[in-house]
Amino acid sequence: MADVREDILARLLEVVATIPNIRSAHRNNIDITEDQLPAALVLDGDEETNDATDLGMRPAHRPTVVQMTPEIIIAEQADEVGSDLTTLRRELIKRVLTDTELNEQIVKTGRHGNGAIRYLGCQTDLGWMRSLHGALRAQFLFKYTLRPEEL
Amino acid sequence: MIDYSTDLYDPVYAELGVPATLSIGTAGEVALTVIDDTRPKTNTSGTVEVRSVGPGAFARIPELADNGIERDDYMDAVLSFNGRTWVVRSYELRGSPNGEDVGEVRFLLKAIESTNG
Repeated sequence: MADVREDILARLLEVVATIPNIRSAHRNNIDITEDQLPAALVLDGDEETNDATDLGMRPAHRPTVVQMTPEIIIAEQADEVGSDLTTLRRELIKRVLTDTELNEQIVKTGRHGNGAIRYLGCQTDLGWMRSLHGALRAQFLFKYTLRPEEL
Repeated sequence: MIDYSTDLYDPVYAELGVPATLSIGTAGEVALTVIDDTRPKTNTSGTVEVRSVGPGAFARIPELADNGIERDDYMDAVLSFNGRTWVVRSYELRGSPNGEDVGEVRFLLKAIESTNG
């Protein structure tokens, strides 16, 4: 059994947990407290294929290309939350795009296969709580081959 | 005409008020009575909710004025009450039927960085 989607998401959680100064890392936990900040949260992503335009005679179980777009949220609370988020964002992007396991073993980018990992962008949310609270929502795209026979 | 200071604020602050100290720059400390208005607060980013508190306190404008504290002094003042010390990051005036100068101010507070959390 090989479930690339699950492998990507599980590895993402491990990667974000290594970001310096992150106090807690979560997957799909959407309710956290200030004591867990700075926090990194991996939210399972939507998936898309182009198979709706491929209604020919090929067998249904043939491999197809999937694009998954998980979201990672970095949340922090501090007077200088903007600078903190900038630093955490830098470490997040660097670690996801250069992670050897994600690139070479799971998604298989470059000479390892036809997969791809891309940073799509981010948005920020701000608000006052005990201190200035900031959250940065970053989206990544993972292109990989879905092989139904291996599921 | 109803005197809200005597009939409303005096008994409310006598019952709910706590001693506080307000420090403004180098002008020294002023003793006040405030009502702790710290509330639960949630910040939402996408589907993620982070829970914390929104610290705040009510004070009576006549009491502030009697101690020489004007509106220009509110911002960045340091307010201590109930065992914690905060910085005034903003405020809102809560008018009274007798006029805003005899009403309340709600101080919106933030943690001093070293005591955050």
